[in-house]
Amino acid sequence: MAKLELRNVSKFFNHHNNSIKTLNNINLQIEDGEFVCLVGPSGCGKSTLLNIVAGLEKPDEGEVILDGKTVNGTNPDRLVVFQEGALFPWLNVIDNVEFGLKIAGIDKEKRRERALHYLRLMQLDKFADSYIYQLSIGMRQRVAIARALVMDPEVLLMDEPFAALDAQTRDLLVVELQLLWQKTRKTIIFVTHSIAESVCLGDRVIIFTHRPASIKKEFKIDYRRPRLMEDPEINKYASNILDALKSEVIAAMKEENK
Amino acid sequence: MINAHLILKKVVFYVLILITWQLIYLSNLLPELVLPSPSQVGESMIIMITNGSLAYALGTSFMRLAIGLVISVTIGFTLGYYMTKHRILYDTFGSLVLGLQSIPSIAWVPLSIIWFGINDMSIIFVIIASTIFSVIITTYTGIRNVPTLYIKAATNMGAKGFVLMYEVIIPAALPYLISGLRQAWSFAWRGLISAEMLITILGLGFLLITARNVYDMPQVISVMIIIMTIGLVVDGFIFSRIENKVATRYGIR
Repeated sequence: MAKLELRNVSKFFNHHNNSIKTLNNINLQIEDGEFVCLVGPSGCGKSTLLNIVAGLEKPDEGEVILDGKTVNGTNPDRLVVFQEGALFPWLNVIDNVEFGLKIAGIDKEKRRERALHYLRLMQLDKFADSYIYQLSIGMRQRVAIARALVMDPEVLLMDEPFAALDAQTRDLLVVELQLLWQKTRKTIIFVTHSIAESVCLGDRVIIFTHRPASIKKEFKIDYRRPRLMEDPEINKYASNILDALKSEVIAAMKEENK
Repeated sequence: MINAHLILKKVVFYVLILITWQLIYLSNLLPELVLPSPSQVGESMIIMITNGSLAYALGTSFMRLAIGLVISVTIGFTLGYYMTKHRILYDTFGSLVLGLQSIPSIAWVPLSIIWFGINDMSIIFVIIASTIFSVIITTYTGIRNVPTLYIKAATNMGAKGFVLMYEVIIPAALPYLISGLRQAWSFAWRGLISAEMLITILGLGFLLITARNVYDMPQVISVMIIIMTIGLVVDGFIFSRIENKVATRYGIR
């Protein structure tokens, strides 16, 4: 049985009283411990799909099934790492990481211990008492990842978490995330518009069409880890995928120019 | 940051004002009743400090201010919060609040005297009336402007209801709430002095109006200096420091 299953998921949104389809009949099965990347042109609805899996939005048709049960609403078993990190500026780093545990009613000592463990894993334990404004964007994203992992979610949902980073930081975090995944074997759904990033990270790369988004094609990436962004093999995989995606990007551009 | 150069500039400026004042006084251009000398004002201040009348007036005034502000902030915050929850409240009650907020604090005094009489309660009422509407509005704006991303992230981690409110919405709205409090303080301070001058029972405003009644110009000026100094210290030192700290932490500047 798949860990997570999307069954006939469709979503509409209202635009000037017109109902526009954004997600068209998405069917997807994700295995336990799998690292899946969702790639598509910007504005295609990948983030909407992630929000639906997180339960932050409801699908208009279809359902999301986790461990055999249809999900209803949001729950810490499916945690999102947002593009902007969404860390709380009024809390220091460790209190941010502890936030979910505090909400869950775990006592102070235990949650401090667990938070410190994940900060160490992200090599951020020295910054436990810093405030968010004192951190670089790369460090913020690592705190956001720690904040999600500390809750031990069934599925980790990552919504373009590296999109705001400079290239060097991103390349580092791409490696770091792979090591982390190898250690924790979390099921990860990673949304990105960068093909190179998706090939580097994913066991599977799923390509979406332009609006309404549906699954166009999927690629298995069977290659040793940790993979580096500058690896020529990775580039080969990426250019294959780019060929498949090109028509979609062009379609998206045409739509925008209308 | 303490900047020696800046402090020096300020000291020189205020010394110059004192010298000019003293020179005008010595020139005998103005009668002593209109313009006493700096030393007469200083003397009057020392008398007020040593005989305890200043401390007593300050104590009375601050007690009223504290009671008024606590009531106003508590009720104002609650109403502002419910206005964000219920659209109908904002559409109806909200427009009334905007109107009432534009009434200067002193204009509440006649109504307050008729409702409550000449007593502490009527002064406290003026403080409440002159601050509560701005507290309601800043609370409403502050909560409405909480980034949805914070709420999404917190909800995703399991926060809801009162916990979401207490752990996320209030702290996220803090920059607004603090500037709301700062504004409430300055309205309250003005309202308090006006009310005490018209509803004359003790307090700093009372000290000012009684000095006028006996043409004690040094005391009039020294009470004004005290009013200014307290306003400056609370607003310029306490509130602006808190605001700056919060702004830095929240990445607003």
